[in-house]
Amino acid sequence: MMISHNRRKILQASGALAAATSVPLMARAQAAAPRVVVIGAGFAGATLAKYVRMWNPAIQVTLIEPNPTHVSCILSNLVMTGALGMSTITLRYDNLRNKYGVKLVADRAVAIDSVNRIVTTQTGNRIAYDKLVLAPGIDFDAVPGLDTAVLPHAWQAGPQTLALKAQLDAVPAGGTFVMSIPPAPYRCPPGPYERACLLADTLLRRRRAGRVIVLDANNDVVAEPHTFHTAFQTTYASVIDYRPSSVVTSVDWANKTIHTNWGPIRADAANIIPPQKAGKMVVAAGLLGTNPATRWAPVNPLSYESTVVPNIHVIGDSQGTGQPKSGHMANSQAKVCADALIRYFAGEAPDPAPMTNSACYSPITSTTASWLTVVFGYDAASGLMKPVPNTLAEAPTPSGDHYEDMFGWANNLFADSFS
Amino acid sequence: MKLIRMTLSGASALALLVAAAAAHAAPPAGRLLAAQCAQCHGTNGQAVSGMEKLAGESEGEIYKELLEMKARIKPDEIMHRQAAGYTDAQIRLIARYFATGGKTSTTTVSTSTSSTTTTGTSSRSRSRNDN
Repeated sequence: MMISHNRRKILQASGALAAATSVPLMARAQAAAPRVVVIGAGFAGATLAKYVRMWNPAIQVTLIEPNPTHVSCILSNLVMTGALGMSTITLRYDNLRNKYGVKLVADRAVAIDSVNRIVTTQTGNRIAYDKLVLAPGIDFDAVPGLDTAVLPHAWQAGPQTLALKAQLDAVPAGGTFVMSIPPAPYRCPPGPYERACLLADTLLRRRRAGRVIVLDANNDVVAEPHTFHTAFQTTYASVIDYRPSSVVTSVDWANKTIHTNWGPIRADAANIIPPQKAGKMVVAAGLLGTNPATRWAPVNPLSYESTVVPNIHVIGDSQGTGQPKSGHMANSQAKVCADALIRYFAGEAPDPAPMTNSACYSPITSTTASWLTVVFGYDAASGLMKPVPNTLAEAPTPSGDHYEDMFGWANNLFADSFS
Repeated sequence: MKLIRMTLSGASALALLVAAAAAHAAPPAGRLLAAQCAQCHGTNGQAVSGMEKLAGESEGEIYKELLEMKARIKPDEIMHRQAAGYTDAQIRLIARYFATGGKTSTTTVSTSTSSTTTTGTSSRSRSRNDN
């Protein structure tokens, strides 16, 4: 009902424009070519832009992204250990432009006028849309005393990944590395546990191992509990000290001290990963509604359209459907959203039974990896995406085969999203 | 902007009209489902490395393989868990999409959608009841 009504409004608007100003037919045709504007070119935004253009080149897609490339969080812990270089996780936008005809705007979106449907960028560029897709990833809560220029969280890959690597490389032999895990939901559920394993593995292999203290704000391991409990209790029993229900309350890095709900801890190096919430543009556009406790954008999972502001869709880490926040899942949601946008411009309702899935590989040592997977289906009764029974599983044991498959997975996911 | 519009040639005006019309084309059945395989098996089933290519495999082959996977889930096979996520009818649509490259005729496709959606729903609720 809403969809055909909106579509009618677009058609009426273009017709009215033609009648009022007597512009030629060609201008009317151009006004009718649908305009999708996307903010953010990570896994969600890039996949959305690519798939809309690949599936329907009649739709104009403008992608607003200030960074010249995307640096993937996926595999970035292997850059931290030195196993991979930055080039492996640095993904270019050339194919989006050249192969699919996505219009790239190297600028930062700063304001959204959802009434007149205009995005304003930092340089004052005003970009009109019929449908706006927000894919800004995550933002962080401030942790008192934490300066991320000194202690990088490296939960957005890029320069911080190398800064974290420098921290790891500088840990004195027998030193204490403190890392913290924020309350769920956060980006990449197994990611912090994977990082703890790789910190421990690297220190052991360099014969510098002291302790890796893992402060988990959650009351247990959030993802792959069997894999990570086994790793912490056996493989890394001599190194990792896992402490559930431990919250970082402040950081005093001048005195190399991390304050927690259990008291202060002295550290030689630290990686504090702050609590997370939807990206800034989601907040700026008013998509979190009026309840200050809302941290992620409420959306309709059939189309990822905001339930607060019409014609703005949110995909990837910022959306609040309860599905895990990951690059693979962001790609998956982007396709559902792309399909819904194409149907919308064709005057149709979204697919009534969308499916999404998550699959990811986590290195556990320098030669083995584990995996985690789940398939989600739309549940019409509740209006929610729910895990399909029997699909949520972790690998029974980490293995070298999985480590090899990890690169097949990552390379295909990178290519499917960015090229 | 107005200047650009006014200097458009007749040919580009025609192209725009064609483009505007094409914007109203509805997606073929199975396309969105099949796209959910691409994260690992490549865009349109054209894997870039390390994973099985699905493009060009026969409908029967993909269908049979996925049904076998979900019938006998081995704990160390990630793909068996993925297969378990889909109804037989959804798997049929996915298999057909990869086998034909999405070039099934609209008529055939819309018929199969309406008939399989019903089957899909009931088999999904059956599998949920089993748990």
